[in-house]
Amino acid sequence: MSTPFYKPRFLRLFTGLVYLYLFIPITIVIVFSFNSQKSLQVMEGLSFRWYTEFFNDPTLMDSLMTSVQIALVTMVISTIVGTALAIGLVRAHSGTSKGFNILMLVPLITPEIVAGISALLIFSQLGIALSIWTIIIAHITFSISYVTIVVRGRLASIGMEVEEAAQDLGASRWESVRLVLVPALWPAIVAAGLLVFALSFDDFVLSFFTTGEDAQPLPVRIWSMIRFGVSPTINAVGTLMMVVSISAVALAVLIPRLFGRRESGVKVLTGAEE
Amino acid sequence: MSSRRFWDWFIFPGGIWIALLFAVPLMLVLALSFGHVDDFGRGVYGFSLDNYRDVFDATYVPVLIRSVAYALATVILCLLIGYPVAYFIARYGGKYRYALLAALVIPFFVNYLVRTYAWVALLADQGLINNLLVDWGFTQEPIQMINTPYAVIGGLVYGYIIFMILPLYGSIERMDPSVVEAGKDLYGSPLQTFIHVTLPATQAGILAGCVLVFLPAVGDFVSAQLLGGPDTYMVGNLIQDQFFAASNWPFGSALTVVMMLFLAVWMVFYLRRASKGEAEVL
Amino acid sequence: MSDLELNRRQLLLAGAGLVATAYGLSGCTVERPLDRSAAGDIVEPKVDGDLLIFNWAQYMDPALKKSFSDKYGVAVNEVNFDNLEAMVTKLRAGGAYDLIFPSTEYVRRLRDEQLIRPFDRSKLKYADSLSPFYESPWYDPNSEFSVPYAYYTTGIAWNTEEISTMTESWADLSNPEGFGRIFMLDDFQEGIGQANLLNGFYLNTEKPEELEVSKETLLEQKEGLRGFSTSSVQNLVSGAAAITQAWNGDVVNARNQVDDPSIFAYETCKEGVPVGSDLMCIPITARSPGTAMLFMDWMLKPENAYQNVMWNGYPQPVAGGREAFAELVKDDPSIDVDLAQLDDSAMEFRLDSPEARQQWTRLWTEVKA
Repeated sequence: MSTPFYKPRFLRLFTGLVYLYLFIPITIVIVFSFNSQKSLQVMEGLSFRWYTEFFNDPTLMDSLMTSVQIALVTMVISTIVGTALAIGLVRAHSGTSKGFNILMLVPLITPEIVAGISALLIFSQLGIALSIWTIIIAHITFSISYVTIVVRGRLASIGMEVEEAAQDLGASRWESVRLVLVPALWPAIVAAGLLVFALSFDDFVLSFFTTGEDAQPLPVRIWSMIRFGVSPTINAVGTLMMVVSISAVALAVLIPRLFGRRESGVKVLTGAEE
Repeated sequence: MSSRRFWDWFIFPGGIWIALLFAVPLMLVLALSFGHVDDFGRGVYGFSLDNYRDVFDATYVPVLIRSVAYALATVILCLLIGYPVAYFIARYGGKYRYALLAALVIPFFVNYLVRTYAWVALLADQGLINNLLVDWGFTQEPIQMINTPYAVIGGLVYGYIIFMILPLYGSIERMDPSVVEAGKDLYGSPLQTFIHVTLPATQAGILAGCVLVFLPAVGDFVSAQLLGGPDTYMVGNLIQDQFFAASNWPFGSALTVVMMLFLAVWMVFYLRRASKGEAEVL
Repeated sequence: MSDLELNRRQLLLAGAGLVATAYGLSGCTVERPLDRSAAGDIVEPKVDGDLLIFNWAQYMDPALKKSFSDKYGVAVNEVNFDNLEAMVTKLRAGGAYDLIFPSTEYVRRLRDEQLIRPFDRSKLKYADSLSPFYESPWYDPNSEFSVPYAYYTTGIAWNTEEISTMTESWADLSNPEGFGRIFMLDDFQEGIGQANLLNGFYLNTEKPEELEVSKETLLEQKEGLRGFSTSSVQNLVSGAAAITQAWNGDVVNARNQVDDPSIFAYETCKEGVPVGSDLMCIPITARSPGTAMLFMDWMLKPENAYQNVMWNGYPQPVAGGREAFAELVKDDPSIDVDLAQLDDSAMEFRLDSPEARQQWTRLWTEVKA
C-alpha cells in the first residue's frame, strides 16, 4: 500500500522518534530517582536514598494516603453515577436525555482552571471549608463524564434484545437492568473506574484550587516542591505515582479480557466501535 | 411508571450533579465577574463592567493573544507530529496496534507536573541535553532552551498530544482502505491521493483532535510557570495569579468568562458534531 | 438542529436565572462569614488536640514536628502555601489551621479582619530571649497576636564564576554581564520595592507618579530577565541564573547544595535592604489553639531554634537561632542580618491602604503581562 509519507519505513522511523520523544523524559525521571547523589545531571551510582527519604517523610506519606483516598472515593462514586447516567442517556429518548447528553460533555472540554475556579467559588459561597471532600467532589464532577463516555460506547453495541428477553421471562425492568444489562457492561464499568482512578490520582489543577486543611494530595505537594528547590525526591515520588497510575490503566486494559471476550481493553477505553 | 420516566431516573443523579456542581458554579463565576473587591480584598458581587474594561485594556490583550498563539502553535505541532503516528499505527500496526496505542497512552498517565519537571531537568543550561551538546562539541556555551516560548509550547505539545493522536487514530482506522486505492487510481500520486481522499475522510478526527488540544492548551498555566521566561505569561497564569496572588477574584472571574466565551465557539462546534456522532469523542 | 433549539430555550432560562441570582447576590461577599465567637478568648498553652500547621514549603525541619509529636502525644500535620495571598484565601474559606506563618504586614491585616486569635505571650517559656524589635511592634502593639519565627533580608545573589562586576546596587539586576540570565523574585512587593529603592523612592510609596516611574524601571529590567521566580535555590544551583534577586536564607541553601559554596555570593544593596519577618499566629478557625501555642514555644526553645535554622537556612530572632545563623554565614557575613536593620521600619513592606495594595498588584500584573 502506498502512503503519502513516501515509504512506510520513513513513517516507521518517524513514529519511532516520536515514541522516543514521549519516553525520554519519563525514563530520566525513573533513572534519576535511583541516583545516589543529589544531581539531576550526572548519575553517580545506584541507591534507594530518595525512596527512603520519601517513605520517612510523614508529610509526603500523608499526601500519598490522601491521594489514594481521593482516587478511590472518586472512582466508586463516579463509576456508579456515571454508569447510571450512560444507561439513562442511551435508553431514554426524552428531552431530558438530549439536554444532558450535551451538558455531560462540557466538563470534559472545559479547561481545568475554569473548573477549579468554579469549584473554589461555590465552596466559598456555601461556606464549605476546603478539605479532602471538596477535592473529591470536584474530581467526581469531571469523572462522571469520563465514565459515561466509556460505558456509553459499550452500551451502544448492546441492543435492547437481551433486556427485552429478560422481561419476557418475567423480570421487572429494574431487574433486567441489574441482572442483565449491568453484567454485560461490567468490563466497561471496571475499565472506566480504573481510568478515573488514574486520572484523579494524577490530577493537579482541580486539587490545587480545592485543597484545604487535610493533607495535600501528592501533585499539589510536588508543585510546592518544584517551586522551592531541587529535590530528587520528586523523581522518586514521580516514579511511584507512575507505578500506581500505570498499574491502574494496565488493569483497565486487561480486565475486559478477563471477562473472556476476545476484545481489547484499549478498544473498550477509547470507545472504538465494532 | 412510564417508560420515559423510568430511564430518566438513571439520568438524574449524574445529570443533577453536573448541573449543580459544574453549571451553577460557572454561573457564579459569571456573576462575580461583574463584582469588585472590598477593603480586605474580598470579592463582592455587583453590577459593574469595570472588570471587562480592564480585560480589554492594552496591557492584557497581548496576554490573551499570546495564549491563543501558543495554543494554535501547539495544535499545529500536535497535528503534524500526531498524524503520521496515528496513520502508522492504524495502517501498519498490524497485531501490535493495541500495544502501540497502549504505549502511547502510558506517558499521559504520568503526572503532568512530573513530566514537565523532567523537561526542566533535560533542557536546563546544565541539563542533560546541553551537557551532551557541549561534550560532543556542537556548541561551546550551553544554549538557552528553558525559559523560552519554545519550551512552553514544547511542554504543551508533550502534555496534550495524546488528545490529538487518539481521535486521529479512530478516524484513520475507520477509513475504508479501498477508498484510498480508488483514489490512487484517480489522482495518481500518493500526495494527491492523500490531499483529496485521506484528509477529507479523516476530517472528523482532525477536527476533534484540534479542538481537544486547543481547549486545554489555552487555559494551561503549568507549562508557562515551569518552563517559561519573562515573556511567556499566559492567560492561565494571569487568572491563577488573580485568585492566589493578587486577590482579585472578580477580575479573575472576568478573565475566565472572556476566555470561556472565546472557547465556547469551539466547544459548541465540537459538541454539535459530537452529539451528531460526527466527531470522535476522545 | 433540535438540539440547538433546546439549547436556546435553556439559554434564555439560564439567563433569567442568572439575572435573578446576580440581583440576589449583589453586595454579598464571596465568602460566608466565619464564626468569630472565639475572637475575644485568650488562648492558653495546653494540649487540646492534633496540630495542623499551614506554612511555606521547606521552611521547617520535619524532625522538630516529629519530636513535638512524640513529646505531647499529638499528631503534627503540615500543609503548604505558595504565597501569603493564597494563605489568606484558604483561611477565609474557613480552613481550620492551627498555626500559620504570615509576615508582619499580614499579621496586621489578619488582625484587622479578625482572622487570628490573641494569646498570652507571657505564658510562653522561651519568649524571653526574643529580640526587642518584637516587643510591641507596629503590626501587633500589645504583642498578643504573634511571636516571630524567622527574619530575612532581600538582596542579590550571583554566580562568582560568571559575574565579576557587581556594584552593591539594585542596578545590578540589569547588569549587562548577566543579560538574559537574571531572575527577579515573583513577588509583587519585592519586585516593585527594589525598583522604588533604585529610584530613590520610599520602599512602600503610594504616589502614582513614583509608581509609574518604577513601572518603567521594571519594564527596562524585564528586558534582561530570564524569568520571574521564587525558586532561587534551584535557579542558582541548576545554572539557569547568573544573577538573581534572592532572600538571604535561600542563598544559604544554595551554597549548601554545591561542592564549592564560594561560587554563590550575596550582596545587600546600598539603596536600601528590605527586611522582613515571618511570625507565628493562631487563626480564629483553629481547632487546637492550645497545642498551637505549645508548638510556638517548642520552636522558640533554644536548641530547637538552633536545629531549625541549621535546616532551613533562615535566622530566628531568638537565643539559639541567632547563633546557628552566625555559624552558617561565617564565611560570607553579607548574608547575615544586623538586628538593628529590623528597627528600620522604612525597610519593611507594608501597604497601609487597600487602594495601595490594589494599585501595586495591578502594576505588578501589568509588568508581568
